[in-house]
Amino acid sequence: MASFELEGHSSSLAVLLFRDVTNCKDLRQLVVSGRVNPEFAFINAAGVLGLLPLQLAAHKALTNNSRGRLVTKTLHAELVYNLSGSKHIGESFKRFGVGDDTRHLLVARFDAAPEDLAYVRGLVRGAEVPLEQLADLADGGAAAKFFKIGDHELAVGSAEEAVACRIAVRDCL
Amino acid sequence: MEVDRAAGEASTSQPFDLEPIVRLENCKLVSQGAEARVWETTFCGRPCIVKQRFSKKYRHPALDRKLTVTRLKQEARSVLRARKAGVPTPALYYVELEASSIYMEKVEGRSVRHLLQDGLLDDAGVARVMADVGRLLALLHDGGLIHGDLTTSNMLVRESDGAVVMIDFGLSYNSKLPEDKGVDLYVLERALTSAHSHLEGLFDQILASYKKHSKQWSATFNRFAEVRLRGRKRTMVG
Repeated sequence: MASFELEGHSSSLAVLLFRDVTNCKDLRQLVVSGRVNPEFAFINAAGVLGLLPLQLAAHKALTNNSRGRLVTKTLHAELVYNLSGSKHIGESFKRFGVGDDTRHLLVARFDAAPEDLAYVRGLVRGAEVPLEQLADLADGGAAAKFFKIGDHELAVGSAEEAVACRIAVRDCL
Repeated sequence: MEVDRAAGEASTSQPFDLEPIVRLENCKLVSQGAEARVWETTFCGRPCIVKQRFSKKYRHPALDRKLTVTRLKQEARSVLRARKAGVPTPALYYVELEASSIYMEKVEGRSVRHLLQDGLLDDAGVARVMADVGRLLALLHDGGLIHGDLTTSNMLVRESDGAVVMIDFGLSYNSKLPEDKGVDLYVLERALTSAHSHLEGLFDQILASYKKHSKQWSATFNRFAEVRLRGRKRTMVG
């Protein structure tokens, strides 16, 4: 588990990484029916190439929230949606949210209290591992395909930066 | 300079004039131009540059807003396009349309202008940098992107690996026309002669490298020769 301060928002983001989660189907049901209380963002770890995109998505969600401009229903749903470089909300959830065939799960919450974390640890059936393992669990090939990252671009910067650019530019398209 | 404004204020009805970065702490003003202010700060634990376009009071508010937002969007899109073409640029972190700001990676290094004017490069170093500039221009142009403001101040030499990094895509646009590419080169030639008149042959080195790396060099060079004779503007009549 790790926690990030988000500059300028006086908020923090707590992130947990679970490996080989077995009850993703149930978790998805819970999320879809809005019965996860307190709210959490459940993210398919395969699509997240690094912590930078996650932090940027969190920043974006908080800023939009403070302006009353959320596109999705909740702040944590917005975090999941912001991880994608696409404006298609359903597609973004399908790819970055928890799905029936999700194996590794990133779980995040803004300003999480210790009891919130205990609650979610009880909810997820999988092995909690250090966040550093995220790089191993991500599916670089699939992500590169989804984000359309070509070889030219990888010569210029890392895949993580390429994803960051796409998240940043989404609203400009 | 106002440095602290609460995030909550942002939800009021007038979203446009919000100063964004002001919410980031330790923001340092680096430079101010005619279109934008550039700040330096930390974002997601990384050194970051924030470029904020400000509103021009002499313009009608509706028009001003429209222009600022379109240019901001165009700039962000151009940076991504340049990266896709294989041209090093600062990575984008965040584009805040409401506050007309763009957050990007801070590249450690010095501008080519600075390096040339202070004589910090030997002949081989100059040749290497100019060859790199020519190659990057060829990539940009073949990728259908016109930089629009090619000067030696808008090219940095990165400290870590010595690569040339292009910055400031504020005047960029998409075009495949030889005319636009020719004008882009012409602007660079003028910039070189005015800023580095004591150094000769810089532009020839760039052109030689451009020719080597661009597939469409001949159409571009033909048009460039015409542009050189008549100047940047296509027609002299109003």
